[in-house]
Amino acid sequence: MKFRTRFSDDKAGRALDVTAGAPSFEATLEGVPLSGDALAVRDGVWSLVGPDGRQIEVSIAFQNDGSVRAYTAGCLFGFELLDELTARALAATGGRSARRAAHATAAMPGRVLRVLVAPGERVMQGQPLLVLEAMKMENEVKSPRDGVVASVEAAAGQAVSAGDVLVRFEAGGE
Amino acid sequence: MTRLLIANRGEIAIRVIRACRDLGISPVAVYSEADRAALHVRLADWAVPIGPAPARESYLVVDKLLDAAKKTGATMLHPGYGFLSENAAFARSVVEAGLTWVGPSPDSIAAMGSKTESRRRVLAAGVPIVPGMTTPAKSAEEIAEFGRENGFPLLLKAAAGGGGKGMRVVRSAEEVPEAFARARGEARSYFADDAVYAELFVEHPRHVEVQVLGDATGRIIAVGERECSLQRRHQKVFEECPSAAVSPELRARMEAVAVAAAKSVDYVSAGTVEFLLAKDGRFFFLEMNTRIQVEHPVTEMVYGVDLVTEMIRIAQGEPMSLNEKPTPRGHAVQCRIYAEDPARGFAPSPGRILRLRRPQGPGIRVDSGVEGGDVVPLDYDPMIAKFVAWGRDRDEAFRRMRRALAESRVDGIETSIPFFLSLLEDPDVVANRISTQFLDGWSYVPKRPPEDVAAASMVAAALEAMDGARKRRPPAAPGSGSGPGAWRTARASFGLRE
Repeated sequence: MKFRTRFSDDKAGRALDVTAGAPSFEATLEGVPLSGDALAVRDGVWSLVGPDGRQIEVSIAFQNDGSVRAYTAGCLFGFELLDELTARALAATGGRSARRAAHATAAMPGRVLRVLVAPGERVMQGQPLLVLEAMKMENEVKSPRDGVVASVEAAAGQAVSAGDVLVRFEAGGE
Repeated sequence: MTRLLIANRGEIAIRVIRACRDLGISPVAVYSEADRAALHVRLADWAVPIGPAPARESYLVVDKLLDAAKKTGATMLHPGYGFLSENAAFARSVVEAGLTWVGPSPDSIAAMGSKTESRRRVLAAGVPIVPGMTTPAKSAEEIAEFGRENGFPLLLKAAAGGGGKGMRVVRSAEEVPEAFARARGEARSYFADDAVYAELFVEHPRHVEVQVLGDATGRIIAVGERECSLQRRHQKVFEECPSAAVSPELRARMEAVAVAAAKSVDYVSAGTVEFLLAKDGRFFFLEMNTRIQVEHPVTEMVYGVDLVTEMIRIAQGEPMSLNEKPTPRGHAVQCRIYAEDPARGFAPSPGRILRLRRPQGPGIRVDSGVEGGDVVPLDYDPMIAKFVAWGRDRDEAFRRMRRALAESRVDGIETSIPFFLSLLEDPDVVANRISTQFLDGWSYVPKRPPEDVAAASMVAAALEAMDGARKRRPPAAPGSGSGPGAWRTARASFGLRE
């Protein structure tokens, strides 16, 4: 199965082709052959042992925004992983960066402390839209884009989950 | 069997439960609706619900706590830290209800809880505080004179002020006239009051605190100091015992002053006297915390004492078990592990812990409020564990802490473990070149993984995606779901940004 992977600070992605899955995986990463023993210890936790005996335990978490978070001893990092069909589709439409967010979502669970915008209001990218409280700390939810608020989907006092839509924007509004 | 109610939750409730077990006392837990499944409840012999999740409706409601003690026959109460632990009125209610309060007297708490009263008491006991003018300055010359006497830089402050408004740093006598005029102008426009005074500005200070212990016989001893300069948003995150900036001679002076401060309020129980330590070795009283501290384990590791059992014994009227002043051995460091995401500006990361691998092995102590499978609620402090490492010297303690951090795994939520791994490799932290402002100018940058780790992780993610699709594929659904793309439907959001 073919994938494209990319670190967020890399311009170009890398081609990852997995030709054999666990437990004896075979793959190429940008042409470099990789193989070894892959054990799914449990959901999201993998132990890989290479032919030279190199062992790496890694925790994998798929994020709401579609990226992957990996943690190995001492290293927390993120990257994108797309199957090749999706990667090609995105490239054809000019890439995801050109796409406009239709809404602002909660990055974490919490309670809405204050709503700072109202429908019809023009907002700038980075402008605080709401204030969420979680674990005794206040966190601003900032606008992902310039635009016009179509609706606010949360009220003060309401509990929200990660990924919940909080504010919708009018289509195309700039 | 004596029963002791713990008016707290999380790791400190469990710390007190352990002290109870060591003393043959039966622990009583209380819990809010968010904490029914919490570990501190499951480790207790008795447990009483005290209301809804918000602390002001549960852990902070005096009557509910007293009712819980009555219901379970508890005769002692330990407040932990935070919540009502430094509330003199609560301590008084506990005593008036006929219970034994595990802490200092309500009068000691009240005296140290008041900024003015505590300063008055400790000043009378000869404890140094940051030199400051006691009345607003009448002229620039008065401020310059104060500076010549106490040293520069000075901090000009609006008498009616707060929040940094109207504050000015003055580095020499020549700068005083203009700074005085400006500070007055700002004070007038912000607070409609142009009264301004000056105090010594302690630049790049350290936060060093001394542990004290007093008992009903009137004996008060100091049990060394802790270095707590690494703070984020004015919250300590990393602590050490002893402070590598404190010489034996300075330690002796700080301990003597701390004991004097404690004596000024007839202190009984464990307490902490906090100081600002200037670069030139001068130190000044900040405040006294009249309770057990979050960072008490580093002192326990180095001095071989159990401060919480001492608190309980002392509350029962017994003398402290330390006949001689304990001597320090080696070095201990503590990391406060928070449920927060260092890669996203330390945003809170509550939720279910899918897996928790705690560090173990030589020199490691973990005080944690959770175990694998537990949910970290978003209603309380995000600290889920304290990792403590002891070594024969500071270097060994650091190496063991790095080992402990790297060994740990917390899946399901994000934690500050990667932040600490970076912090403990910082050359300034390793060389002890720190102050309370150090972390203001320090940011966590996720480390780029070595190439083999990156490649392995990308392969693992691809395998996980393929594996997830296979497991979630509905059985025998001919003509659908097979082949590439099947896992995409299984993880609707995966691969799609929005």
